[in-house]
Amino acid sequence: MFGYIRPLQGELKVNEYERFKACYCGLCHALGRKYGFASRLILNYELVFLSMLLWGEDEPVEIKRRRCIASPFCKKRYCVGSRALDACAGYSVILTWWKLRDTVADEPFVKSLPHRFFSLLLLHAYKKAAREHPEFDCRTREGVVSLEAHESRQAASIDAAADKFANILRAAAPESAVESLHRPMSELLYHLGRWIYIMDACDDYTSDAQAGRYNPVLALYLPEEGKLPEGGAARMKTTLDHSNNLVSSAFELMPENPWSQTVRNVIYLGMPDARARVFSGRWPPHRRKITKNGHD
Amino acid sequence: MNDPYKILGVASSASDDEVKKAYRELVRKYHPDNYHDNPLSDLAQEKMKEVNEAYDAITRMRSGGGGGGTYRPGSGSAGSSGGSAEGQKVRVAINSGDLQYAEQLLKNFPARNAEWNFLMGSLSYRKGWLDDAFSFFQNASNMEPGNSEYRQALTFMSQGGHAYRSHGNGRRPVQGGGCDACDCCTAMLCMNLCCCN
Repeated sequence: MFGYIRPLQGELKVNEYERFKACYCGLCHALGRKYGFASRLILNYELVFLSMLLWGEDEPVEIKRRRCIASPFCKKRYCVGSRALDACAGYSVILTWWKLRDTVADEPFVKSLPHRFFSLLLLHAYKKAAREHPEFDCRTREGVVSLEAHESRQAASIDAAADKFANILRAAAPESAVESLHRPMSELLYHLGRWIYIMDACDDYTSDAQAGRYNPVLALYLPEEGKLPEGGAARMKTTLDHSNNLVSSAFELMPENPWSQTVRNVIYLGMPDARARVFSGRWPPHRRKITKNGHD
Repeated sequence: MNDPYKILGVASSASDDEVKKAYRELVRKYHPDNYHDNPLSDLAQEKMKEVNEAYDAITRMRSGGGGGGTYRPGSGSAGSSGGSAEGQKVRVAINSGDLQYAEQLLKNFPARNAEWNFLMGSLSYRKGWLDDAFSFFQNASNMEPGNSEYRQALTFMSQGGHAYRSHGNGRRPVQGGGCDACDCCTAMLCMNLCCCN
């Protein structure tokens, strides 16, 4: 989807990084197993993060090795399916489906052909996922529709726009009879969604300004020399960091699970790093290469 | 109540210092400054209460065995003047938030000794007069260097300037509130703990 929600690799312990990769592969396998091959193409970092968040306190992390299409010769470690991975696989399919439908509705016929084709591939998977998670499907559809309506009005409020997206993500918070479990998760997901939405808008600011596309930040600040003016950038940075802080304060109220350390890395280091990179034009980060002088 | 050691995240065999460290870390984590105007502030308060109770329970268990080290008044720390009757009254007043009464009591305090300085420091924390509080704790600690309660209060103060971060390298986005204030208030909460009996 976006790729902003990822750990800062250099600050992860080696075994944490290995486990994170296994979780990534685990979600891919869960997608393939439950929803067919096509759905594996929609794998993304955001949903891997969500799997780690939704992982049960007492649910063990079981890692096995197997070959897959991406690594046909060498066996790779992956997390064996868990409740969280299965749920997130379903959420991925539903989110992607509605995003595709949104694009199909927006773009001219020819331009939307690839999206039409892919949504056809995903139709079966979507139907299955929607059956399994009717509530999430319903809220995602509502969210996409209201986001669409909001964007067509081009209202000058970043929060009103981000709210719709944030609420979609919030819908992934599992209902719990225990209020102290549900509320922090719901709050965390809301601000995570808000953060992703604003990050994406800031990241796309220049290209949207050139192409004349709708962008909620563009609706607030006119570009200066094609770029987001400094005052606007400062304001957006502040609001992004505020959401990041609220994500972390909500997270600290949640019970620890096997992924807590990795999740902390994402929240405390990965997200600020992504934020800094987007605003300094260094996004996406390059893969680390070993050079003669050490890490590049 | 749940296992207090589990709440603090330490083994029951942990040393007093380890327990104290874990406790402080949790106090920093659930500090009201981190949840200012936050819809989850009530949950953070509950957590804080739980942590305080757990620390209380452990301190009580350990002081029963003659353990010094903790900064609970009257737990037998050498040379602590925390037990004076007037002092207790001030502690109770500060703890219940009756700062005017505490101030009045301190005005009529029998002596301007280490305990008076310490209590003045606690009161200043409560009022948010952070620099004053630092000076008072420094005085208290200078007058009675052997008192661990005063020393800890001072150490807490001088550790200031760091916002709570669970990930060691300080790249966490810092909240707008200012770090000094954050740490001082954390210390204040610990002081509150000292003040309750």
